[in-house]
Amino acid sequence: MEVQGTVPETHPPKFTLQVDTEHKATEFRLFSMAAPHMRAFQLAWVSFFSCFVSTFAAPPLLPIIRDNLNLTSTDIGNAGIAAVSGAIFARLAMGTACDLFGPRFASASLILLTTPAVYFTSIASSPVSFLLVRFFTGFSIATFVSTQFWMSSMFSAPVVGTANGVAGGWGNLGGGATQLIMPLLFGLIRHTGADNFTAWRIAFFIPALFQTLSAFAVLIFGQDLPDGNFRGLQKSGDKPKDKFSLVFYHGIINYRGWILALTYGYCFGVELAVDNIIAEYFYDRFNLKLHTAGMIAASFGLANVISRPGGGIISDVVAKRFGMRGRLWTLWVVQTLGGVFCIILGQVGSLSASIAVMIAFSLFVQAACGLTFGVVPFISRRSLGVISGMAGGGGNVGAVLTQLIFFKGSKYSKETGITLMGVMIICCTLPICLIYFPQWGGMFCGPSAKQTEEDYYMSEWSSTEKEKGLHHASLKFADNSRNEKGRRVKAAALPTDESSPTQV
Amino acid sequence: MAARGLLLASFLLFSCFAETYGMISFSSLQRTLVVTASHRQGLLKGGEDKITVIWGLNQSFPAGTDSAYTTIGVKLCYAPISQVDRAWRKTDDRVSKDKTCQFKIVSRPYSNTNQTFEWTIERDVPTATYFVRAYAFNAEDLEVAYGQNTDAKKTTNLFEIQAITGRHMSLDIASVCFSALSVVALMGFVFAEKRKGRKAQQ
Repeated sequence: MEVQGTVPETHPPKFTLQVDTEHKATEFRLFSMAAPHMRAFQLAWVSFFSCFVSTFAAPPLLPIIRDNLNLTSTDIGNAGIAAVSGAIFARLAMGTACDLFGPRFASASLILLTTPAVYFTSIASSPVSFLLVRFFTGFSIATFVSTQFWMSSMFSAPVVGTANGVAGGWGNLGGGATQLIMPLLFGLIRHTGADNFTAWRIAFFIPALFQTLSAFAVLIFGQDLPDGNFRGLQKSGDKPKDKFSLVFYHGIINYRGWILALTYGYCFGVELAVDNIIAEYFYDRFNLKLHTAGMIAASFGLANVISRPGGGIISDVVAKRFGMRGRLWTLWVVQTLGGVFCIILGQVGSLSASIAVMIAFSLFVQAACGLTFGVVPFISRRSLGVISGMAGGGGNVGAVLTQLIFFKGSKYSKETGITLMGVMIICCTLPICLIYFPQWGGMFCGPSAKQTEEDYYMSEWSSTEKEKGLHHASLKFADNSRNEKGRRVKAAALPTDESSPTQV
Repeated sequence: MAARGLLLASFLLFSCFAETYGMISFSSLQRTLVVTASHRQGLLKGGEDKITVIWGLNQSFPAGTDSAYTTIGVKLCYAPISQVDRAWRKTDDRVSKDKTCQFKIVSRPYSNTNQTFEWTIERDVPTATYFVRAYAFNAEDLEVAYGQNTDAKKTTNLFEIQAITGRHMSLDIASVCFSALSVVALMGFVFAEKRKGRKAQQ
C-alpha cells in the first residue's frame, strides 16, 4: 500500500509498536523502552516527576526551614502561592514553544533553566529569597504541557488518553513522593553529623541533580516525533515550520480551549491547593503528629499512580463505544462527583471517615484530570501546544484562586473552605455542557451530518497555506481521529472506514 | 454521708484522671521557683555563646511546698514577639499542648539549694527573642510548679539569639557551579542540534 504524502524515506521506518498513518503508536506498552514511542513516554514522565519533586520539596521540610529562615505563616502561605503561580504563564508559553521547537527541547530547556532555582534554594537566607526560589522552581511544572504534547504526538487516538493520563499521573506522583523522600534524605544527612540548618540545604541538591540528569536524558535519548526531531524534519522539508502568531491565534480563538482551561482549574487546580493545605488540615483538626499528617498528605498525591491514568484509560474505553460524546459525559460526571466528595470532606468529623472521603475525593478529582486530557488532543491539531498550555495554565490559575479565596488568612475555617471549594468545583464543571464538536457532537447535541473531521481540522488552515501543502499532518490526524464518532454512528455512516488520506 | 463520700471520691478520681491525661493547666501552677539567666551583652550567637541559669525555691513560700518536687526541667521559651503569626509556637494553657518552650536546657533532680548551669546555645536554636522557664516535676513526671526569669506578661529580661545560617562556603560554590553547568550544557545541546540540522540539509 503506497502512502501518498510527504514521507521521504526510501524505506518506511520499522517500529516496534503498531502505528497509524502518522506513525503514532496505536498501542501502549507500559513497561517497554522501545524507541521512539515508549522511550518518549518513559523520559517524559520521569522528567516531569523530577520537576514535581523539586517544586514540592520545601513543604515537608518547612518545620526546619521556617526556623532557619525566620518565616511567619504569612511568608509560608505566600511562598506556597508563588510556587504554583509561576507556572500559569509558563504553561502557556510552553505550549507555544512545543508547537514551534518541539517538546524535547522545550521541556529540557525549561528544566535546565529552572534547576539553578533549586540549587539556589540551598543558599536561601531570608523570607524573600525563599519566596523567589519557590517561585522560579515552580516554573518547572510547566513541563506538564510538553509531556502531554509529546504523548499526543507519539500516540494515536485510541490510546492517547491512556498515554496522557499515565504520563501526567506518574509525574504528579512527584508531589506525593517528595513528602516521603525529602524527610528521608534530611534524616540520612543529619545522621552523618550535619546540623539541622545545614542538612536541609544539602538535601536540596538531590532533587536538583535528578532534575538536571533527567533533562540530559531527554535531550540525548528522546525524539520529538515518531519520524524524527523537529529541527531535522524541518530542515529536510518533512515538517513545515509554522508561524508563532498563527499558531497562537488559532489556539486562543478556539472557545473549547477556554472552557477546558476553566474546568481544569477545578480538578488539577484543586489538587494543587489541597497538596498545600491537607497536612495542616489533618494536623490541626485531628491533633495528629506531624509525620502522621505528612503521610496522609502524601497518600493524597500518591493516589495519582492509578487515578489519573485511570481517568485517561476510562476516556479511551468510553470513546470506543460512544466517541467524543462519551468522553465529555464521563468527564462531567467524574469531576462533579469529585466536587460532591469535597463537600462531604469538609463536613465529616471523624478521622477515619475523613481519610476515606479524602481518598475518594482524590481518586475522582485526579481521574477528572486524566479525562480532561483525553479531550484536549482533539480540540486543535495545528495549535495542540497552545491548547495544552491554556488548559494547563488554567489549572494553575484555579490553584491560585482557590487558595486565595478559601485558604488565606482566617476568613474561613479549613473545613468550611473545603466545603465551599466543593461547591465551586460543581459550578465550574457545568461549562463542559457547552463544548460542541460539529463532527462528533456535544453532551446534549448530536453531530451535524454534513461536517467531517477534515472540515474541522482544515478550518485552521487558510487556502494559501493549503496550496503550500502545510496542512498534511492535520489531514492525517483528521483521518485517524474518525473513531471519535463512536461505534454506532460510525457503523451507520460510512460503508468503509479504511482509507488512505485524500490527496488534495 | 456515703453519697458525699462517693462524690468526693469521684471528684478526686476525676481530677487525677484529668491530670494523668495531661490536662494540667499552666494557670493552675504556682510560681514557686526563682530563675535568673545571665549572659554577655548584645546579640547571642547560636552554637557559640553561653547562658548561665540559676534556679531555686523562693524561700518566702512555706516549708513543705517543695515536698512533691522530684526533678527540675529548665527550658528555653519563645517571647510573645517571636510567636506572632507563627502557630507552631503558640502558647496554650494546657501544658501538654503548649508550644512556647521547645528547647531543653537541662534536667536535674530537685535539690533544696540553688542550682547553676552553664548552657552553650545549641546549633538548632532559631533566631528569636527568648526567656527561660523552669518546671518542677513530681514523681509521676507531671508539672507541679514553675518559675521563669521574666514577669507574668513576659516583657522583661528577654534576650535575643541569632541562629547559625547553616550555610557553608562549599555549598555556595557547589550551587553556583552546578547551576552554571546546567545552563552551559543546555547551550551546548542547542549548538549541537543546530549543527545536526545543518548537516541534514546538505
